[in-house]
Amino acid sequence: MDMTEKYYTEAVIDALRLEMMEDDDVVVMGLDVKPSIWGTTRGLYEEFGPNRIIGTPVCEGSFVMAGVGAALTGLKPVVELLFSEYIYLAMNPIANVAGVWPHVSNGGFKVPMVIQSFIGANGFGAHSHSQSTQASLLNAQGIKVVIPSSPADAKGLLSSAIRDEGPVVIFHHRQLLPMTGEVPEGEHSVPIGKGSVMRKGDDVTIVSFGAMLYRCLEAADILEKDGINIEIIDLRTIIPFDQELIAQSLEKTNRLVIVEDGRKRGGIGSEIAAVFTEDYFDLLDAPIMRVAALNAPIPYSEPLEKACLPGVDKIITTVKKTLE
Amino acid sequence: MDENTFELTREEALDLYSKMVLTRHTENRHEELYQKQVIPVSTHLGTGQEAIACVISGLLEKKDYLIGTHRGVAEYIGKGMRVEDIFLEYGGKADSISGGRSGLHLHSPELNILPLLGELGTDFSLAVGAALSIRNKGLDSVAVDYFGEGASEQTDFHPAMNMAALYKLPVIFCCCTNQFVEYHPYRESTCTADIAPRVEGYAMPWQIIKDGNDMFAVGRAMKEAIAHSRGGNGPYFLEFKTYRLAPHHSADQCIYRDEKEYEKATKKDPVPIAQKALLEKKWLTTEELDKITAESLKIIDQAVKTMEESSLPSADTIMNFAMAT
Repeated sequence: MDMTEKYYTEAVIDALRLEMMEDDDVVVMGLDVKPSIWGTTRGLYEEFGPNRIIGTPVCEGSFVMAGVGAALTGLKPVVELLFSEYIYLAMNPIANVAGVWPHVSNGGFKVPMVIQSFIGANGFGAHSHSQSTQASLLNAQGIKVVIPSSPADAKGLLSSAIRDEGPVVIFHHRQLLPMTGEVPEGEHSVPIGKGSVMRKGDDVTIVSFGAMLYRCLEAADILEKDGINIEIIDLRTIIPFDQELIAQSLEKTNRLVIVEDGRKRGGIGSEIAAVFTEDYFDLLDAPIMRVAALNAPIPYSEPLEKACLPGVDKIITTVKKTLE
Repeated sequence: MDENTFELTREEALDLYSKMVLTRHTENRHEELYQKQVIPVSTHLGTGQEAIACVISGLLEKKDYLIGTHRGVAEYIGKGMRVEDIFLEYGGKADSISGGRSGLHLHSPELNILPLLGELGTDFSLAVGAALSIRNKGLDSVAVDYFGEGASEQTDFHPAMNMAALYKLPVIFCCCTNQFVEYHPYRESTCTADIAPRVEGYAMPWQIIKDGNDMFAVGRAMKEAIAHSRGGNGPYFLEFKTYRLAPHHSADQCIYRDEKEYEKATKKDPVPIAQKALLEKKWLTTEELDKITAESLKIIDQAVKTMEESSLPSADTIMNFAMAT
């Protein structure tokens, strides 16, 4: 397959453009999708026009509901929410309608829609423009959540999300938007529900996703010098997560650490830990540990933001704890 | 345009009247079956509102989308839903459209009746979305959102009106002002007597139909709105005034209701009013009226029988279509 070095945002545009060319029902909706705030829809308005790149008023809850209405009636909307905090503004259409009505209607209605939003602190975003709110969707029924960790995965997961017949939320991590990487040309999809092993190791399994994976890789390199070999799993799909892949890794390591930059209480790590304690206890030689953001809003000022989020040091000390 | 263009024809009027009668008897039967504990879900009767709901939905074509309310079955019958499907749904039966998952929340993918949302007043933008599909696919359908004045208090009202007008979409908003919001008169929670003039702010055409119990007045307004929106001229807002003759739901004692006002309103029941008008126009004879009632009762008896003979869903269907599990 031909590969081209691309920015993460270019890979997102790649997926949108290909899917829009493939299927006239694919439309993009959201605030300022024409100029494109994050660069994820840049140039598409000029190519596809106002009926397919639909700039919306400032009304997240309502334009996501309009997206649901469009999806119920034959379009395949990709609705952009500029900050993952806005998921809360759109919780009614997401959790009460999009995720449940395919079930309520016994499969009669389909909601083939994607919500594309942005997570992660990137300096001075404070409480409303920094958080990673993916775990808020854990308890909402019927919503798949994917979080890419590279330009290639951004393209592949977004394409798969658009082709999925149910609602899928894709969160892009702001720290990854300026990243470059090799991206397959032409059609490229990454299966939803499957994780991948990012680094092989025998001593401890770290499960993570998005930008935090790169903190985990740094920690693993440091730990390797102490003779500790870390296996890192990139979840790629957060809901539902790839239990099988984690279990395979635990067969070797028997130790599990989950790393995320969402809040610790009720986080993705909490759910994984609960599932593995209930169903895979035999695979564990140590308590499952979580590395996550503090149970506080993310603050504005630099030292406060830094203190709120987990860093490499925290990952290293936590891994060592599971080996005690 | 000739004003008479929007008058109901004899054929339309008879069809809509039959649907009003069928609605009234279906709802009354639901109440009976609820009291007898045959149907588990209580009623939210639409008694007194049949002229509005049956006419606005009955004038639609299959290709048009409808979002209805939880109050009664008029708009569902109007759009062509079978009484059998309504009772199967209320009965929670395996053969219902939802396979026993939905209950009160009627819908029909086949008839383009979109989900009746349980979160009151959050479906305005759902209609906007359906109209986006209509626009993008180049269809001449319309999307009708039928709701009560209580729903207009919800936060989705403004953005939906704004988007519908901004994108010039074929949405017809039909507000049924029945004087009550759940357990209180609507003026206790809405600051103005009329809802429709608000959309002046969205440069959207609107009408208030002062007598929503007159099926001919409802028909004229709705036909005008359909012609407007189907013709590519954007959204339209209709407000129909009526009086909720029913309690909020089966167990409501209506202690908040002015009994004199209620007594007065019972004299303006839209079903006998329509009957009288059709007789005066000589579009129907009394024998034909009786026949319509008898046929309605026959349909309902058969539907109840089908419902009672149907089985409940098997528990192992619970995870069907549950996604992201």
